[in-house]
Amino acid sequence: MASRGSAHEGFLRHANGRWCKVAILVSGLAIAVYALTDATPRPNGGTFAGYLLGSLAALLVLWLTMLGLRKRIITRGPYSLKAWTSAHVWLGLSLIVIATLHTGFQIGWNVHGLAYALMMVVILSGLYGVYAYANLPAQLGANRHEATQPQMLEAIRALDRQLDTAAQPLGHEDAATVRLSLEQCRVGGSLRQRLTGRQPGCGNRRARDAIAARVDVQRRQGKPDPALTQLLFLLERKDAALEQVRRHIAIKTRLELWLHIHVPATFALLAALTAHVLSVFLYW
Amino acid sequence: MGFSVRQITRRADGGEIVRTRVLAGPDITVGRGTDCDIQLTDLGIMLRHARISLMAGGVIAVEATGGIPLEIGGAFVTHAELDVASRPHVGLASHRLSFAPGEEPDSVTITTERVVAAGESTNAASEVEIFSLRRVLPGKRGMAWALVIGILAVFVAWPLSTMHRQAARSFHPDTLWSSGPLSTAHASLSNTCGACHHKAFVSVTDTACIACHTPAQSPAHAPADRMAASRVVATGMPAFTAAIHRRFNLPEGRCASCHKEHEGPAGALQVAANFCTDCHAELASRLSDTSLANVPDWSRHPQFKPTLVTTPSPIAPRFERVSLDARPHENSGLVYPHALHLSATNSVANMVRRQGLPAKGGGLGCGYCHALDSDRVRFKPIEMERNCGACHDLAFARDGGVTRTLPHGKPEQVAGIIHDFYRSQAVAPRAGVQWLADDRRQPGHAAERQAADLRLANIGGANARADAAIASIFAPGGVCAGCHSVVATGARNAALRYAIAPVTLNGHYLPKGRFPHGRHTSYNGRTGDAACIACHSSVVTSARASDVLLPPIAKCRECHGAARTAISAPSTCATCHGYHFGDGDSDGGDNSSGRGGDVAAPRHKYHVRGLAAQRPPDLP
Repeated sequence: MASRGSAHEGFLRHANGRWCKVAILVSGLAIAVYALTDATPRPNGGTFAGYLLGSLAALLVLWLTMLGLRKRIITRGPYSLKAWTSAHVWLGLSLIVIATLHTGFQIGWNVHGLAYALMMVVILSGLYGVYAYANLPAQLGANRHEATQPQMLEAIRALDRQLDTAAQPLGHEDAATVRLSLEQCRVGGSLRQRLTGRQPGCGNRRARDAIAARVDVQRRQGKPDPALTQLLFLLERKDAALEQVRRHIAIKTRLELWLHIHVPATFALLAALTAHVLSVFLYW
Repeated sequence: MGFSVRQITRRADGGEIVRTRVLAGPDITVGRGTDCDIQLTDLGIMLRHARISLMAGGVIAVEATGGIPLEIGGAFVTHAELDVASRPHVGLASHRLSFAPGEEPDSVTITTERVVAAGESTNAASEVEIFSLRRVLPGKRGMAWALVIGILAVFVAWPLSTMHRQAARSFHPDTLWSSGPLSTAHASLSNTCGACHHKAFVSVTDTACIACHTPAQSPAHAPADRMAASRVVATGMPAFTAAIHRRFNLPEGRCASCHKEHEGPAGALQVAANFCTDCHAELASRLSDTSLANVPDWSRHPQFKPTLVTTPSPIAPRFERVSLDARPHENSGLVYPHALHLSATNSVANMVRRQGLPAKGGGLGCGYCHALDSDRVRFKPIEMERNCGACHDLAFARDGGVTRTLPHGKPEQVAGIIHDFYRSQAVAPRAGVQWLADDRRQPGHAAERQAADLRLANIGGANARADAAIASIFAPGGVCAGCHSVVATGARNAALRYAIAPVTLNGHYLPKGRFPHGRHTSYNGRTGDAACIACHSSVVTSARASDVLLPPIAKCRECHGAARTAISAPSTCATCHGYHFGDGDSDGGDNSSGRGGDVAAPRHKYHVRGLAAQRPPDLP
């Protein structure tokens, strides 16, 4: 509380990296337990160390899952959400060490391997989430240029109106070209289009290229049509606006997508973990 | 006469703005162009799209002038005449023109309206959809539920529903629970989890193992009390672990405490390197009366202490374990110089050649006498008739076409047979019967021996000749003395006058280990007899049967556990020793050899004529 100054301290460095140190300590202890026990014929989840590490890993998984509940209650102080998030990330990473040692490096095509694989999916997607939360908001801000989402869309709509007006005097072919921009131009789209920010065959791009070619020809002939030149200007502005919105969507998608993996995989992991523990003792 | 035009445009809030004006003249033009009478700002419409002409009788003519047909009543036409009274509609791109009779006669009202909303790529309502993944991916909650239900169904419900049904099916769902492949020996049980996992939530018990592996097949290592006394008392962490194991009904000494399954092909038989040395490294300190030497590891394994015959006997031979370092001798009761039989240049070699026996470099091959047994671990017992008889034959007479032979191993029968032979010749002499007389019987000389005169005058002469013949057979230099020690008893009865010293051939010098000879048929590029001699190097110089011809342990270390040579064979305890070889009398041997020096070992494997080879090994 006292140190809540102007300098922002992210959840990774919370409390001088307290949870990072705890995670390193826990991992180190796990490695020590693994290295100092002599398993016969080789280490696996069923040895003493195996049960110890497995129990620890299972408890950790349950606690890590609790962040989903905890984040809905925002508090300050030693048990602040930031502290929880910090612990969530660092202890989650230490789970890689603990659970891998629990397996004794034996991973097969069975319910136990499934639980391990799901856990790794959760951890790695979470790792990406940490990267995303640390880096993408800045990119999002830099791309936005102070514009809000509705403002970005409104800018495109305004350009559309101007284009519609500017195209009225044009002949049918040019008008049809402008209609490409007005009617066959999307932001968003499929997941792939969102992630890449690319819309192959974007109507506006096609219209801009076609009009640009016409203007180019006219310029070389020395008599550019002012209406077309104005149109080209509008199409280029719309292209820039589209580019900005699509980049915005791409960054937002990356910012959201990992949670679409992290959260369902967490619940899948809980199910697989239940099956793993149940089956181990059922066929003890 | 004219047109009244009502142009309707919509406001953002949905309200309508209607602009009305009147156009004179019979013809008006419609298009996007500013010069048109009715201008429609729709990029789908041509600059000059259509002309409308007022004709007589309430009829109008519409004509597409821009080259794009007009949509009238669902059909696309370039020209049409329409009865205004029927209130027709004409479609142009996103707009619709509706015609109706005007208030004045011969006038027409035209209503223009946009029927398709202006093409807008975005609108405010769709903002959430545009910027979130809502429409692109299924929701997190939905995916989570689907995965949880799917995983529980496949990995819990399905195996649970089938685990107690051993139906013949190609896939058993409970194998999804397997924590790893079974060992090769148990691979056939891979689809039958219930073979070992009898009860849910109860660890595999010995009952499951004993169902196939009877205790007789896998005897205990040593008597339970001695095992208990020799075990290291666990302290600290191992004691804690053991206590937890017991708490969960997993006591020490179960089959599964050593034989771990689901550990891959080699699994069940893998034991830790320290499995044996945990007890045997300092066994003597806990088992004070043991004669077993401490073995901390292979490099400090004591010299071999072969079990040697000290007193040969057909009934109760006695053995003693003596370290090879003491250069011990054995008393098998036999005369057998290995060097003589292996020579490539002496009369034995000559015999080998003439008899066509398997030879190696001119001398007798090792394998002629030492033939691997069916396990290819040790050797078939030496038998006089099979292994010696080709040269050391016991023929004594020729009777017609039959060669009369003395029985081996039955000296008391020999005198009777010889007496019978001479007496029958005295009572009823037959022609063609020849005594193969040769007092100094050389191996294989039967064919060359001269037939002696067998014309006998009377029974007394026959007895005298028989006694003389018996004496020559048993006498030093006679046929028996070639291989045996013969003792003259001084008895008057000829049948009891001579005794052959008992013979006990050692069947297993190192009964606590297993040395698979069949897997040691080459050594450093040498094969066959050269490989035998590579280890048993003293055979070529051994002149006495009492020589112990075993290689010392240093010979094993040339390959086993030798890191510095090119050949490096395994050197775990289990390479030579077995845990379940049986306790037998190992403990007894243990004690008595510690106290008594030698021991009668009724279960030790040895070869005596007339006694079957017996169960292996048991001296420590």
